[in-house]
Amino acid sequence: MKEQIEKIKANALEEIAKASDAKSLYDVRVKYLGKKGELTAVLRGMGALSPEERPVIGSLVNEVRDELEAKIKEGEDSFANLEIEKKLKEENIDVTMPSKKTSLGSVHPITQVINDVKEIFIGMGYEIADGPEVELATYNFDKLNTPPDHPARDIQDTFYITDEIILRSQTSSVQARVMEGTKPPIKIICPGAVYRSDSVDATHSPVFHQIEGLVIDKNISMADLKGTLAMFAKKCLGEKTEIRFRPHHFPFTEPSAEADVSCFVCGGKGCRVCKGEGWIELLGCGMVHPNVLRNCGIDPDEYTGFAFGFGVERIAMAKFGIDDMRLLYENDVRFLKQF
Amino acid sequence: MKASIEWLSEYADINVEPKQLGDILTMTGSKVETIEEQGKDIQNVVVGKILEIKPHADSDHLVVTKVDVGGGEILQIVTGANNIKEGDIVPIAKDGSKLPGGVEIKKGILRGVESCGMMCSVGELGLDINSYPDQIEMGIMILSKDLENKLGADITEVLGLKETVIDFEITPNRPDCLSIEGLGRETAVSLNEPFKNPRKNLDEMKVQDKDSVEGIKVDITAPDLCYRYIARVVKNVKIGPSPEWMVKRLNSCGVRAINNIVDITNYVMLELGQPMHAFDINSIEGKHITVRRATKGEKIITLDDQERNLTEDMLVIADEKKPVAIAGVMGGQNSEIENDTKTVVFESAVFYGGNIRKTAKAVGLRTEASSRYEKGLSPENALRSINRAVELVELLGAGEAVDGKVDVYPAKQKENRIPLNVERINILLGTNLSKEEMIKTLEKLDIKVENDVVIPPYFRQDVEGIADVAEEVLRFYGYDKLGTTLINAETTLGGKNKEQKIADSISELLVNSGLSEICTYGFISEKDLEKCNISKDNEYMKETVKIQNPLSEDYTIMKPTSVPTMMQMLANNNNYKNKEVRLFDLSRVYKNKQNAIENGNLPEESNVLTIGIYNESEDFYTLKGLVENILEVAGVSKYEIKKEENNKMYHPGRCANLKVGNDIIATFGEANPLLTKNYDITQRVLLAEISIDKISVYARRNKKYSPITKYPVLERDIAMVIDENIEVGEIEKIIQKKAKKLLEEAKLFDVYRSEKLGENKKSVAYSLKFRLPDRTLTDEEVNGVMKEIVSELEKSLGAELRK
Repeated sequence: MKEQIEKIKANALEEIAKASDAKSLYDVRVKYLGKKGELTAVLRGMGALSPEERPVIGSLVNEVRDELEAKIKEGEDSFANLEIEKKLKEENIDVTMPSKKTSLGSVHPITQVINDVKEIFIGMGYEIADGPEVELATYNFDKLNTPPDHPARDIQDTFYITDEIILRSQTSSVQARVMEGTKPPIKIICPGAVYRSDSVDATHSPVFHQIEGLVIDKNISMADLKGTLAMFAKKCLGEKTEIRFRPHHFPFTEPSAEADVSCFVCGGKGCRVCKGEGWIELLGCGMVHPNVLRNCGIDPDEYTGFAFGFGVERIAMAKFGIDDMRLLYENDVRFLKQF
Repeated sequence: MKASIEWLSEYADINVEPKQLGDILTMTGSKVETIEEQGKDIQNVVVGKILEIKPHADSDHLVVTKVDVGGGEILQIVTGANNIKEGDIVPIAKDGSKLPGGVEIKKGILRGVESCGMMCSVGELGLDINSYPDQIEMGIMILSKDLENKLGADITEVLGLKETVIDFEITPNRPDCLSIEGLGRETAVSLNEPFKNPRKNLDEMKVQDKDSVEGIKVDITAPDLCYRYIARVVKNVKIGPSPEWMVKRLNSCGVRAINNIVDITNYVMLELGQPMHAFDINSIEGKHITVRRATKGEKIITLDDQERNLTEDMLVIADEKKPVAIAGVMGGQNSEIENDTKTVVFESAVFYGGNIRKTAKAVGLRTEASSRYEKGLSPENALRSINRAVELVELLGAGEAVDGKVDVYPAKQKENRIPLNVERINILLGTNLSKEEMIKTLEKLDIKVENDVVIPPYFRQDVEGIADVAEEVLRFYGYDKLGTTLINAETTLGGKNKEQKIADSISELLVNSGLSEICTYGFISEKDLEKCNISKDNEYMKETVKIQNPLSEDYTIMKPTSVPTMMQMLANNNNYKNKEVRLFDLSRVYKNKQNAIENGNLPEESNVLTIGIYNESEDFYTLKGLVENILEVAGVSKYEIKKEENNKMYHPGRCANLKVGNDIIATFGEANPLLTKNYDITQRVLLAEISIDKISVYARRNKKYSPITKYPVLERDIAMVIDENIEVGEIEKIIQKKAKKLLEEAKLFDVYRSEKLGENKKSVAYSLKFRLPDRTLTDEEVNGVMKEIVSELEKSLGAELRK
């Protein structure tokens, strides 16, 4: 019996060693280990053995079977690996060939600046307000302490629809609407298009965008305004940005200020963008004029507030290094795709 | 407003450099525009004395001179000038000197004779000949004999040409700073120096009131437009040039000298901020001045030789027969000061600023006077100013003052009184200043505080309330010292509203789908609408919002649709030869619904998303997919897509409306080929207009989880032949109606046409999936539903089932 088993083993090992592919290994497995295989037949014939021999032969058969199994598995693995290696050699591609994708579009640079600003102020608890672009003159001027004969109406050459209806020349018109319709506390910003009768050139456009901010509550101070804008400037233009207030005049705020920021291109050393000044004029702001509060139904003895407003194009142009405002409105995809 | 350091120094000691002075004044509210250092471009030009003049051997018109330029240096200079003689003192540009305009003077040889410099004329020194009436234009400038002991001295020092002039941007609330006196006061307070108040005498000057002076009488018939009118007279006037110091000051402010009387009016305006006018008494008929509204059709020729048509809302200064000046704007030629004028009437008046502004604009004349008047001047300052003018006449020896004034002052300037609420000011500013500190600042500005009441001086009519007082305090406390605090108040949540969030997510989807956002103007022209196949009788045309004063004929109306702008942007890109252009525009459209504007109401303004694409690999169905994705992102799930054949901007066979109920919320499809032709675009253009406002109404943003079903799906395919003109949407409607809740999905997987099917027939095949969330469906149930579907398809659509 033993010799027979050893012979089977020797034959099987020889055939495994000779096997040239996975298929012939499979045949070996069937021939020796399959249901009708030679080794299986030995097990079946064990009934004829004496009780003493049975466990000895049994364990010998199992031993041989395990060994053959292991050898066959080893062989199969090596054939599988060969197969993979072959595949890897065949499946070589040129990774520098163009990709297959839907190319991305882009958000207009003006919208990008507006989005950045929105995010900063939403983080500080502001809501986004909106108002009509075709606006009643009263919201654009009168309620904002700018009566018909006010010299400030000279500065802005306004588009008229009728004597009473105009294209808003400033987003401040939304201030008046919000104050009229809301009980303080009020914390809003209002981005939007405004219209002024300026001819088109590299720095002027009859349509441009402003962002207006307004806060009304009890005990709001000018220092709060400065603190808010200082924080905004850092978040919008970089952590190192400093802010400077200069006295100025606007009909709807008192005291009023113009705010400059340290040049975010040169860091304040002086460059072409800041004209060597180190500072860039950023926005106009101030404490809401008591007349404006009164005009909009808010008691100036109880509430105070601040307002600020700035042009989006100027910031977008400085931030992205755009030297001609007309590019923003030509909408050439070669321009748009850069943002 | 320009001011020289020299003139400002009359009001305050200035011990800082011009740049620093500019910075300080900017920080207290007088913003510096430019600092101009005059005389800087003249270098190495000195005072010289001509010792001898000899003819040039080789020239008839040249002479050879010897000039003493001080320090024992004698220069030989060849010149062609013929107004010089030995002993004259003249400006000498030495070898290596510089003159205005970048001219450099070098040693040279003129016709064989060495010339070591150049004698200068008034023009060569960059000076205005009008300011040097004794000099001739085409000759060498002859200096005063007094300069003989200053040979070699720098010409800019000697002539006072080195002057620093600061140009300030004055805000409209501070007309008092449109004067050297006002700027001088600001300078003094800003530098913390005493205000020297050199014109203090004017406040104490007593001039008797009279009904008439030298026969001059004054009436104001429009007291609503003229708050004060003062007339004074000077006689025995000798018209002539003004002295050098006055000319120099006028020049430093950018005003040209004309003659002593006119110069005095300009000088007083610059010095005190009050515009003045001077008339020849003989030109005032009846010697009776009336300040009145112009009559209809009245005309006047102003000092600039232009005839001006006047209207009844304009104010004029008139004699008994005619207007002699447009009040506050410009005098008339008929009453101009002439060289033989003997008696002069000075006018110092204050008018209502709003009216002057309108008049100046209407006649197209914005003058130094009108730009001051329109900001609102103080009637109190008018008296000081006319007295100053008369004082100057006597000082210059230009005439004799006639005693007395005619002063019509219907409504005396009111004094503002503002309680000094220290706490309120500190709250407003975020400061912690004491009352004493505030009072100290205010008093420096001549703002009185009596018993805790703030009383601004006559020249500060802009200080009306507590906020104005706070600003004055802050200006000199320092805007730069103001703290930076964060709001200490009720917390607010902030954030975007539903519509804003929807717009944001749509924009994100479009960018990820490869579209670029554009930014456009809100206005277009009716021609643009016509280019988009919109005729005069179209609703869009009838409801346009028209601009009264358009910038040009390209921008006459607010856009009722964004299609014309989108087409234009696609056309621009097509011109740039850009391929595959995909754009979107989130903007507004404006419609004058039901004559809103005519009734004093605002037009309808709505937010619309407009998409414009040209790209060979895209068609109606890729656009439809994009539109469907937009609605999915926004949260609108129940809608219907229906063919639209009547929208003129679109291809009638390739356009659809997207509707919720009967409400059209989007229109999309291929642009009508007429549009692509009109805009010179050779490819097909895809357009979509989607109302963001309406999407927001129908959007359901609340998302809820429904369990993923574990029951098996049952699938059935169905294929049929139907008439070509039946839309597949009809089939889907029937499938949905009959399958009810059992249907999970109906997917169109095949459409084909062939001769075998017959003419105008098509074969359509669907794959249907049935499933219930709560139990397993049986074959019998699904077979039953299939039977119903088939019979309904046969009945309603005449479908022929393919087995």
